[in-house]
Amino acid sequence: MSTSMLRTTLSRRLPAAAHQVRHAASTAYVPGGPIYKGTVNDPTTFPPPSRSHGSYHWAFERLLSAGLVPLTAAAFVTSGTNYPILDGILGISLVMHSHIGFDSMIVDYLHPRKFPLIGPIVSWTLRTATVGVLVGVYQFNTNDIGLTELIARVWTA
Amino acid sequence: MQALTSRSLARSSRSIRAFSTSPGRWQAEPLQKPVLQKEFKIYRWNPDEPAKKPHLQSYTIDLNQTGPMILDALIKIKNEIDPTLTFRRSCREGICGSCAMNIDGQNTLACLCRIDRNASKDSKIYPLPHMYIVKDLVPDLTLFYKQYKSIKPYLQNDNVPEREHLQSPEDRKKLDGMYECILCACCSTSCPSYWWNQDEYLGPAALMAAYRWIADSRDTYGAQRKEHFQNELSLFRCHTIFNCSRTCPKGLNPAKAIAEIKLALATE
Amino acid sequence: MMSTRALGLGSSLRKVALTPSLARNRLVVRNTVARRSIQTESFPPSTAVEILNKQRLNRPSSPHFTIYQPQLTWLGSIANRATGGALSALLYGFSIAYLVAPGTFDSTHVVEFVAGMPDAVKYAGKAILAAPFAFHSLNGLRHLAWDMNKFMTVKGAYATGYAVLAGTAVSTVALVLM
Repeated sequence: MSTSMLRTTLSRRLPAAAHQVRHAASTAYVPGGPIYKGTVNDPTTFPPPSRSHGSYHWAFERLLSAGLVPLTAAAFVTSGTNYPILDGILGISLVMHSHIGFDSMIVDYLHPRKFPLIGPIVSWTLRTATVGVLVGVYQFNTNDIGLTELIARVWTA
Repeated sequence: MQALTSRSLARSSRSIRAFSTSPGRWQAEPLQKPVLQKEFKIYRWNPDEPAKKPHLQSYTIDLNQTGPMILDALIKIKNEIDPTLTFRRSCREGICGSCAMNIDGQNTLACLCRIDRNASKDSKIYPLPHMYIVKDLVPDLTLFYKQYKSIKPYLQNDNVPEREHLQSPEDRKKLDGMYECILCACCSTSCPSYWWNQDEYLGPAALMAAYRWIADSRDTYGAQRKEHFQNELSLFRCHTIFNCSRTCPKGLNPAKAIAEIKLALATE
Repeated sequence: MMSTRALGLGSSLRKVALTPSLARNRLVVRNTVARRSIQTESFPPSTAVEILNKQRLNRPSSPHFTIYQPQLTWLGSIANRATGGALSALLYGFSIAYLVAPGTFDSTHVVEFVAGMPDAVKYAGKAILAAPFAFHSLNGLRHLAWDMNKFMTVKGAYATGYAVLAGTAVSTVALVLM
């Protein structure tokens, strides 16, 4: 009873717009920021499922890494010039392994949702570089002595 | 009457503060413990002065007049030195998860963490790492709870039996080491992946809670639960760093639970 | 009860309760307000989120890797990434250099360049290449074991972690002497 009284008494004394909340653009959702989507009672949401970004990617990465084990071991005991196919597979696998590694750094540290400009730039730079590297490795393995042989010779130079 | 009693009590005992009951004349005089001053450096930030940068504030207390745990020290500081020091606490026995904080570089519960008696070294107390701070040692856990809610932490089963859901002892055993999680957020906030991507990556606590239901023989929604994780961020930001299991104050192993989900996704 | 007694309002409030006259009620309330200078504002419930969000924008983010205890777990992980990144950068750098200038970066020139360096530089260079390679390879095996759910305990992580460090030291020496 007296609360409503209080309110009417007070509202006369306060400037009308004193408690009007300004709709500032800064309270918009920013990924990783202190403001969250929805109320405190709404669960977070999941992106649409995509196995090529999920388990297939993960499994491929593991199989590739596991494949590098015998390939690296073989490179130690054989000569790249005698087994050019093996050297080629090792080269391609290393480049793919490196590409996935770099890509996972971009996802971790420079994801486009947080870095809408620099994220895609770095991502496309990586893709371009990887294509260039694949061509470079192919040419080095066909026109020159191949990666394994190069490392072996540099090591004993 | 009241005043009279307390006066007579005070006369009969010299150290009335330390004991609830007074020792009689025939009892041995309590040993005077030596003073053991230790410095605590505690992270402070006050929302009423938002422009003032967070800083470490130093408090020195006598360990021989303090309980054995970090939480005892915090309560002593709040009671006797600085009532503005703000932190969460409730059960003081490691079951509520309120007093999770970073003590000497490790996330743990203040109530389960013993004070290092080496008085020459100070103890540094920070809030849980890489969280938005409400005040002093109190982090905003809203997102953490929203993520927990997103994995639907409850039984889902369309074939409701007439009486109860039966489970073999072996199947029940699979839940040991997971159901004990108290959601203190020590593990998630120790995870570097969670530091960088906590808006999308669920973090070890929510993921272990998810596997707790995937592994439950009574739950029939495992496929749907797993399908949510088929993207690059929700689950696969885990790089098996192991900070989560290393820091868990309950001795649980979220890293293993996440590895089980990854294997289950890859082999289904 | 305590507060009304403290303010000395007990009797007047009781009087109001007994005689609910509108005029008297307003008078008492206004007097109370004046004496205690209370100021309250009324907000619709919808403004709660706005107020909270404005407060959230002030909140600092707590410190993380600068204050976290250095542990084998996360230092080993970041070392795995750093060594992998460095070796991959070398592979990328050399391959693109060869693609751009095959005449300068062909094997004959590279081997000649390395052969012309003093022994100390050669050994140092070999150590700088061998250590990351050994660590990343051995730690990669540790990761593959983990992914197959082996050694997935804190104890297992530490035992294999120290094994990797020891293996790295031994392999680095062996590779440098090769």
